[in-house]
Amino acid sequence: MKLLNKLLCVAALLGAALGTPLAQAATELKLDKAPVSFSNASLQNGAKLFVNYCMGCHGASFLRYNRLTQIGLTEQQIKDNLMFSTDKVGEQMKIALRREDAKQWFGVAPPDLTLVARARASESGTGADWLYTYLRSFYRDDTRPTGWNNVVFPNVGMPHALWSLQGEQEARLVTKDDGHGKKVTEIEKLEVVKPGLLMPEEYDAQVADLVSFLVWMGEPSQETRRGLGWIVLAALGVLAVLAYLLKHAYWKDVH
Amino acid sequence: MSNDKQDVPGGASFSCSCADTNRRQLLAATAVVGGAVGVGTAVPFVASFLPSERAKAAGAPVEVDISRLQPGEMMTVEWRGKPVWIVRRNKEMLESLKKSETMLADPGSSRSDQPSYIKGMARAIKDEYFVCVGICTHLGCSPTAKFVPGAESGIGDDWPGGFLCPCHGSRFDLSGRVFKSMPAPDNLVIPPHTYLSDTRLIIGEDTKGA
Amino acid sequence: MSQINALVDKGKEVLGWVDERFPLSSLYKEHLAEYYAPKNFNFWYFFGSLALLVLVNQIVTGIFLVMHYKPDASMNGAGIPVAFASVEYIMRDVPGGSFIRYLHSTGASAFFIVVYLHMFRGLLYGSYRKPRELVWLFGMGIFLCLMGEAFFGYLLPWGQMSGWGAQVIVNLFSAVPVIGPDLSVFIRGDFVVSDATLNRFFAFHVIAIPLVLLGLVSAHLIALHEVGSNNPDGVEIKKKKDARGIPIDGIPFHPYYTVKDIFGVSIFLIIFAAVVFFAPEGGGYFLEFNNFVPYDPMKTPPHIAPVWYFTPFYSMLRATTSDFLPALWALVVVVAGLSFVSCKNVWVRRLCALVAVGTYWGFFGLTVFGKTPALFDFDLLGVHFGKGLDAKFWGVAMMGGSVLLFAFLPWLDQSPVKSIRYKGGLYKTILSLFVVSFILLGILGTKAPGYAFFGVIPGEPVAAVCTLIYLCFFAFMPWYSRLDKTKPEPERVTWK
Repeated sequence: MKLLNKLLCVAALLGAALGTPLAQAATELKLDKAPVSFSNASLQNGAKLFVNYCMGCHGASFLRYNRLTQIGLTEQQIKDNLMFSTDKVGEQMKIALRREDAKQWFGVAPPDLTLVARARASESGTGADWLYTYLRSFYRDDTRPTGWNNVVFPNVGMPHALWSLQGEQEARLVTKDDGHGKKVTEIEKLEVVKPGLLMPEEYDAQVADLVSFLVWMGEPSQETRRGLGWIVLAALGVLAVLAYLLKHAYWKDVH
Repeated sequence: MSNDKQDVPGGASFSCSCADTNRRQLLAATAVVGGAVGVGTAVPFVASFLPSERAKAAGAPVEVDISRLQPGEMMTVEWRGKPVWIVRRNKEMLESLKKSETMLADPGSSRSDQPSYIKGMARAIKDEYFVCVGICTHLGCSPTAKFVPGAESGIGDDWPGGFLCPCHGSRFDLSGRVFKSMPAPDNLVIPPHTYLSDTRLIIGEDTKGA
Repeated sequence: MSQINALVDKGKEVLGWVDERFPLSSLYKEHLAEYYAPKNFNFWYFFGSLALLVLVNQIVTGIFLVMHYKPDASMNGAGIPVAFASVEYIMRDVPGGSFIRYLHSTGASAFFIVVYLHMFRGLLYGSYRKPRELVWLFGMGIFLCLMGEAFFGYLLPWGQMSGWGAQVIVNLFSAVPVIGPDLSVFIRGDFVVSDATLNRFFAFHVIAIPLVLLGLVSAHLIALHEVGSNNPDGVEIKKKKDARGIPIDGIPFHPYYTVKDIFGVSIFLIIFAAVVFFAPEGGGYFLEFNNFVPYDPMKTPPHIAPVWYFTPFYSMLRATTSDFLPALWALVVVVAGLSFVSCKNVWVRRLCALVAVGTYWGFFGLTVFGKTPALFDFDLLGVHFGKGLDAKFWGVAMMGGSVLLFAFLPWLDQSPVKSIRYKGGLYKTILSLFVVSFILLGILGTKAPGYAFFGVIPGEPVAAVCTLIYLCFFAFMPWYSRLDKTKPEPERVTWK
């Protein structure tokens, strides 16, 4: 058993080594932590932003409108404020844009966003962190067909859909030594050069709500799942105690 | 044979006669014919694994409009379910092909899959437009364009620009030629293609002898 | 009271009626009530029954998933593949669907965790050794089927990892000389991973392999119950029997191990439920993030890696480049040389020489370790005789071979004792190195090429060294297991 312990120690160390943030290569992203909130107010605001700013091009084809009752909206409110393309509340949040047309216009068809928060998770952070950073990292770039570029998603096909809220940012470049004696140009930071409707903090809060909604949309039953989890764990805990006592009751005659 | 009588099973209503040649012959014949029937029956089942007529019919040539492609950019079209890249190479990119020559496994494309009219290091009908199947010759991933040369690419100081396969790290130059000691054995495949006009290209079809 | 007695009599009567027609009581006795298992099983012996539990979980959840899933690669109205959309339909629209799906997806990873630990138990206590060779081989068959199940099943959600994973693995077969390219088309049923591929993988996943798997599991258990279980001391309990013919150190499986396993199951279920309810994605290892994007045959995601349970073998595939072949050949020569010296049989000796020469040709052809151009080349059916076979083929052979090596353990291990408890420092050191290498290979397999540990230790040489250690563990076992200074085995099992 000594060997076993040693092996387990090695495994644990390896696991720890894997878990610790490694010295990242230059290409790795630094993502801001997204302040995700599942309060009804945040999710409702996020839903409103999503319908107004995203659903022109992006669908959420796995989500039915009436699911939004789960975030505190009534069916009437959904019908009145959020549904433009259909009148059936059980319908999925699809868009009228044809994929072929979209491909023609943007080069790539805008992806369906139902699962985007789950798909964008990586070693650099959660999908929410990626989205939160991405939506705040657009800057003006005249070399791009849309006039926009993004720090998190270089040469992105999408223009800055929320620019009227955030305003226009420009990239401040800095030339640095890369450690091998070569000069490389990097983006040091983004600066708002033309203010939008919102102050930067207000904009961040709006993006946080939108991201919260996207996370919720990725798996609308996630809070129920976690809630149920505690009950299941408690029941299994009781089962384990009983099973332990049962085992002892039998094994007392093994000698 | 007849000596091992003690092992022969027997009962009230039967007794086994082992050395019966007639029985042996029939046994062998039945086994052979039965086996043949079995193998014959397997044929349609095994054959059903082959591509169906529908799959075979899906390989029609595709026409591409390349008028909007800017120098230094690439576009991807679908042909037979595979990505086909069209890269419009600028001067520096064509220049880089010479630089990479010494780092390649098969610079002359002697063992590559390419039409007979594709020759030389540019591997193209018109040097400026490079057309190839964007599928790594190792295990079929689609490599990523890494056109930026040098250290900024994150690949290495001597990177001349080209393609990097995300699956196993195979590297190709801007003519789709594979670097030495890479998992991929061969250069990228060039599909049959021909120009219908200066800005229209057809992939999957070539004019004979062109 | 008399009523209860009457009921008991009635029950016995029914049982008697069944027993005359089906050997129910004798099966029950043979496999449970009078199957005598050693009394000194420890923690490691939970994993057999847990594997059975997970198998049942996969089958039951699988049946319910098939009721709603559609293996169809065509696009629906919203431009999403139907197969992908049907998984989300299960996750959102089917009542209880997300729970069933998470049980199945978590169960897949749990299956491999349990089976790897179960196999490691075999390594620790020599459970593969005489007379349990067939138990081990049936187990290997189960392991291979499980890999097949996992691979075929992984295509079904039709996400980016599904499609590209299948693309890579099926293309492995194209490395086989001569028939390779046709073989991979034959497996896919199309020139690319397509609807035809999805449908046949579905058939394999839900019916063909599960049938074989159930047969092998039965064979595994029948063989085990024929020879009896091994134990942490590696001594045969059947050697010491009491007057009634019952092993002195044996206890009936039922009730003693059934109640013990119920306890093990309840602990396992707590961990399992914690994952299902709180981290069903398993940090991107159980459900890969890229698989939430529908399969796009035009675009490989920037980082693709197989699911974690395949990564050790996948790492070995990646490590087998043309630079690695000289080291591999050196290993082959040393093993062939050792076999030559230690075996007097002339045919074995000829075989050793043939293997050394044959692999040299296969690795380098008619060149000096691949460094010089070939003397001459001559091409027959796509095989270049001057250049040997591609490193790509050897990578594939390495991946398949490294799995199959486990099957030879019963004959490679020549130690006089079975259990690690009585083995010497040499074996313990080598086994530890093997385990560390296996884990490191697993970690590296999840990383992109060019990964470095802590940003400084480059992954490629680590993978190459670990691959060699992995191979050496098997290749030199006949010799080091004999050299190892073992301790004497006890007469009876140690208990408390």
